Amino acid sequence: MSIQLLERDLERLESLWDDGLSDAYRSYMEAVAAYEPEAQPRLALAAALIEIGLRLQGLGGRAAAAPSLLMGDLCLARSSRLLAGAASQSVQIAFARAIETLSAAAASDSSAPLPRPRELLLRAFEAK
Amino acid sequence: MVGTRLRFETTHTTEFVDITDRLRAEVRRAGMRMGRLHLQSLHTTLGLAVNENEPLLLRDFQGLLERIAPEGAGYEHDDFARRLNIAADEPINGHAHCRQLLLTGFATVLVEDGDLVLGTWQSVFAVELDGPRHRQLALQLDGEFAESSLSPFRGEGQGEGRGSSAESSLSPFRGEGQGEGRGSSGSATLVELELARQLLIDPEAVAVPMRRLVEAGGKRVRPKLVQLTAGIGPRSEPLRAAALAAAVELLHNATLIHDDYVDESTHRRGQPTVAAAEGPERAVAVGDYYFAKATRLIAEIGNRDVTLTIAEALEAICAAQIDDVALRGAFPGDHDSYLRVVRGKTAALFAAACASGALFSEAGPEVVGALRRYGDLVGVAFQMADDMVDFSPDSGKPVGLDIRHRVLSLPLIYASEDRAVGPEVRRLLAGSLGDAEVGRVADLVISSNALERVREEAQALVETAVHELESIELDGLRPILISLARSAVDRTA
Repeated sequence: MSIQLLERDLERLESLWDDGLSDAYRSYMEAVAAYEPEAQPRLALAAALIEIGLRLQGLGGRAAAAPSLLMGDLCLARSSRLLAGAASQSVQIAFARAIETLSAAAASDSSAPLPRPRELLLRAFEAK
Repeated sequence: MVGTRLRFETTHTTEFVDITDRLRAEVRRAGMRMGRLHLQSLHTTLGLAVNENEPLLLRDFQGLLERIAPEGAGYEHDDFARRLNIAADEPINGHAHCRQLLLTGFATVLVEDGDLVLGTWQSVFAVELDGPRHRQLALQLDGEFAESSLSPFRGEGQGEGRGSSAESSLSPFRGEGQGEGRGSSGSATLVELELARQLLIDPEAVAVPMRRLVEAGGKRVRPKLVQLTAGIGPRSEPLRAAALAAAVELLHNATLIHDDYVDESTHRRGQPTVAAAEGPERAVAVGDYYFAKATRLIAEIGNRDVTLTIAEALEAICAAQIDDVALRGAFPGDHDSYLRVVRGKTAALFAAACASGALFSEAGPEVVGALRRYGDLVGVAFQMADDMVDFSPDSGKPVGLDIRHRVLSLPLIYASEDRAVGPEVRRLLAGSLGDAEVGRVADLVISSNALERVREEAQALVETAVHELESIELDGLRPILISLARSAVDRTA
């Protein structure tokens, strides 16, 4: 599978690529086949960055130490920029809602397990 | 700009109502120092005039109007048989309409030194031509306002400043979503209402901590920049601009929640931080929630350039925050590192706020570019002023908090480079920082010329920012943006 991402898209995140980001990216690439070919890599990376970013932060579990939290923040911010450039308004909104759902659940005192990020993010692609 | 209405009752068929004193009162109430007061009659049989308030002369004017457009002179407007949609109480007043045509429905009076510029014998009249009636004039005050009226930099940490009594008196249109004036308290109130509305509909687990932070105060500089610049281009939508401004403020607060956890800060704006009060797990979740919500609200506005501008700023903030933490190993750092971090952490969102408002209003690219540069420069100057506040005993905060938390600070950098105090500053900063050490470092900074250097540098940035505004058409906004830029630096809190 070819990786058609710009250097800027992975800047500062190179260390994450081999630490789960590339796997997540490849998984999401399979979900974006219905999108314009040039948009597919960035959409897949955006979803992967959200999944990895939330994991780095420890959302729903023990809060990460400062460096991991900040790296997670950068993942979310990068994802937001990628979506702003490559996704339709409805997809941008759907992705934001997925994070809202996950973080609201993490903030609540409920003992119910957190929704699975990947399921929510894959569903967000359907907002195309 | 401030908008308001002047309402009054007339008591005669024809009447010259001297409104000069009431206009003076509006100028004082708004705190306007220099600019223009625009008046507009909201009626077709009420005119405006500037002339002498001498009773016999007023009778001359009335006689003149009556001679030129006498009552009952066969006006077609009064031929109800030929008109459509006549109200039951339709007056016979063709003469009054014709008389109004001889006057004017609009007027502008200059304001200097906080008062109307009028000649010795000049008064401003609303001229009733079909009274007695209830009447109203629309007023807009456009120009420079006293600091206390316009500065967004007051009340930080005190939970005041927004919607305070002094400010709310400026506009009667708060919450009505109309009559919005640029830079008015009405605009600020729209943002507060939007923030309150958004926080009302969120799950309590995230809304309660964010509400505590938002309601504790904050300068609201970023939303103010959005709203001001959203009034520049041809597209004017105050309500949607307020929604964008509120989203930017939510985004800013979301970053603060994570920052406070990273910095291990216990208080912000006089309140416990989310991490301190409710634990880091909640802080991470609340920050993420409002990061996502704010980006969604911005996306919902439906302007891709705006969305991209804010997203790029957010990325710059996050990257700079990583750099900031990394630099703490080399505390207090150097000037170049400082600027790189501050450009990202603070100035990026200032610049994006300015650019996104202008983009939203469909301003031209040269205007967007100039405002982006203006925001960047003001943002850096703002952060430098913030650094100086840490050494001000009048700030309401303990002196030396930045030293204690080893936060990047330009006065500390300059003091550490100072030939006289530098060696001791560097030695103290290299060790553990208890109360005595923090106090000593603060004293050394104050005794050096570091604060003066920072102040001069910040003022130079502000002047460069002001210079950026000179080449673009700002539709009367220049004085407010200049005032805002200067007040970014001239503050003690």
